[in-house]
Amino acid sequence: MRTRWIRWAVVVISAAFLSWGLFPGVSWAKEVAFLDLSDFTGPVAGLALPSSFGIEDYLKDVNAKGGIDGVKIKYIGVDTRYDVARALSAYKSYARDPSVVAMEIVSTPVGKMLQNLLRSAKFVCLVPGDGEFQAHIGNFWPWGPTYQDAFAATIDWVLADWKKKGQSGKPKIAVLSWDNAYGREMLRGGKEYAEKQGVEVLPSELFPPGSLNHDVYLTRLEKAGVNYIYVGGVDPTQTNVMRDASRLGLPKKIQFISDYWGPSALGISLHPEALEGMVVISYFLRGDEAQNHPLLKRLWTTYRNQPADKMNEGYGMGVGAAITLVGAIKDAIKRVGADKLTREEIYNSYQKVTGLSREGILGPCAYSPTSRRGSDVVKFYKVTGGKIVPITDWVKTPDAVSLHKW
Amino acid sequence: MWRPCGIFDETYRQDMAIVRTPLRWGVLTVSVGVLLAAPLFCSYYIVSVLNTLAITVIAVLGLQIVTGYCGQVSFGQAAFMAVGAYSSAILTEKLGLSFWIAMPVAGVITGMYGLLGGAPSMRIKGFYLAVATIAIHFVTMWLVQHLEITGKSVGLPVSPPQIGPFAFDSDERMFYIIIPVMLAMTYGARNIVRTRVGRAFVAVRDNDLAAQVMGINIYYYKLLAFFISCFYAGVAGSLWAHYHGVCHPEQFQLLRGLWYIGMLIVGGLGSIPGVFFGVILIRALDESVLMLSPYFAQWFPWLGTAPAAGLGLSAFGLVLALFLIKEPRGLAHRWEIMKASIRLYPFAY
Repeated sequence: MRTRWIRWAVVVISAAFLSWGLFPGVSWAKEVAFLDLSDFTGPVAGLALPSSFGIEDYLKDVNAKGGIDGVKIKYIGVDTRYDVARALSAYKSYARDPSVVAMEIVSTPVGKMLQNLLRSAKFVCLVPGDGEFQAHIGNFWPWGPTYQDAFAATIDWVLADWKKKGQSGKPKIAVLSWDNAYGREMLRGGKEYAEKQGVEVLPSELFPPGSLNHDVYLTRLEKAGVNYIYVGGVDPTQTNVMRDASRLGLPKKIQFISDYWGPSALGISLHPEALEGMVVISYFLRGDEAQNHPLLKRLWTTYRNQPADKMNEGYGMGVGAAITLVGAIKDAIKRVGADKLTREEIYNSYQKVTGLSREGILGPCAYSPTSRRGSDVVKFYKVTGGKIVPITDWVKTPDAVSLHKW
Repeated sequence: MWRPCGIFDETYRQDMAIVRTPLRWGVLTVSVGVLLAAPLFCSYYIVSVLNTLAITVIAVLGLQIVTGYCGQVSFGQAAFMAVGAYSSAILTEKLGLSFWIAMPVAGVITGMYGLLGGAPSMRIKGFYLAVATIAIHFVTMWLVQHLEITGKSVGLPVSPPQIGPFAFDSDERMFYIIIPVMLAMTYGARNIVRTRVGRAFVAVRDNDLAAQVMGINIYYYKLLAFFISCFYAGVAGSLWAHYHGVCHPEQFQLLRGLWYIGMLIVGGLGSIPGVFFGVILIRALDESVLMLSPYFAQWFPWLGTAPAAGLGLSAFGLVLALFLIKEPRGLAHRWEIMKASIRLYPFAY
């Protein structure tokens, strides 16, 4: 009986100790930290995980070379599981740790909640691509072009393609995406841009993340006479949509275009027949371009111990974000010195890294005091013969954010 | 510390008292005092954990009433919380009501909405009712995402509660709203379950046919249980919205509703202290995983960040599985055994 009590007491006391925060935020001299509140598991893991790997490996590489003027950058990765309560709790556990100078969140609702908490502070928080953060300049910094700017670039491509095919009249485009804030974001400005350019935008078809079949949405769009379908979501959503579309024989009549969270080379190699002909817009390198990129290849093979053809291109996106972070820290050290690195100084430096090169993995950095866009260029790729091959060079994205009434 | 031998109830009042001895009064007063003083000596992080924990306790207390006491399984508690959160947000932000009025009104609105949720219980029970409440969750969240008044998928901003010019705009300040509300709701739940209504709930849970034969209107009591449960969810939702400053559909996912049921099972069905045990244990485990994962990655660099996170998650699942195998009746049962053995000390039986 007594032993049982002791056992229970040990369990309760251990739980109490853990919950009372015996493990405070990490803080070392000459070391700053980057907090990655990411979804290593959950619906956006396919995007978040390779990107986090990229950030972690690039920072490891910088640290292995002695850091930035002796300052090392610690990477703290926390799996938030696409759960708001967990993400908030994780944020709060590091919120007042001064060594954490910048952070990243992948979940849109968490971003919206933190917007409120971070209102008075100056703290760089990297987020996926909501144009709202460009419309209201503040602490949130999309990794690349906003969703609406990417959609607007797609409209330009659609018009060129329409003309190339010798078609007359207005092309019709529709969004087929997740039924959440992300799924609607691209049309907040994107729709205005399309209409301005003479492209008809049909009502969106939105479905819950994780849907296994898309026949109803696809059939409805086909009946509406759509010419182009812009597919949103994090892969394997696009792969599943294309599988259903192929079964219905739609790719012969309709051109499918994927949002920049579309299929990776790895995903394409699993279902090449379904994805054949799909156009993918991307602000980071894809396919062989990414897997043969010298820096990405070196980092991947060194820190992941895997051949380059096993690399998910989201890895490059993470490396690009880490290059920007390092650039901002370098700028801050240059301005105020290594001992005065604060969140505010890093925030100020993020506004000064305009034009910073990301070694061609992403376009030049577009952050500035008036811009929260991580970049303003994209490339178009097409799935051809089971590979994702570029069909354009980098093209500038139009400003669709400013067209929306926020 | 529990009622030692020789202390007897001599009046009805004594028999009905929740707190029975001066020692218990002392322990309760000191505990509440220490809890209320927590922001003075606890870190910002701990205070935020306590706030979230207290809001969760309120929601799970409601679930305990409908599921633990009345036996009507509901997976819709997260959606009902959403109704409370959005109601409170709309009442304060669009209609200009004060938070102090909006919070209870949001509870009542959610309670009324909960009657819809409880309606299927008049025809179905058990597994079928559980599935019906899942359907209610999806319908509710679909409405939230598509109605103009709820801000569709963008959500609604919510301002913090105020008394005159004083705004409860930090974790430490909100603590002094959330904790007293939680204490009051706990007191309310404790009393409900020992009244005639509470006994009717238990009768319906244990054997609804027998209850009906005894003259209990089972439909009335089932709906009443749903109303009370949803009132609790509504108040929890209101606090959640004003605490975080925003209402967003993805804050109220089905998984949250499932976890609430998990908390009840771990803590113990049909027990008010069980709610606290379940919520605290699950949250403590969750927080531990959250905090330890980065350390796993640091201690075992060859493991990498993501697998380390997965390891924490696996440990979490393992602890829960072991717990359910070893203590299927919940922590409340263990608590009862402990109390009984202390009361009987030094005798073993």
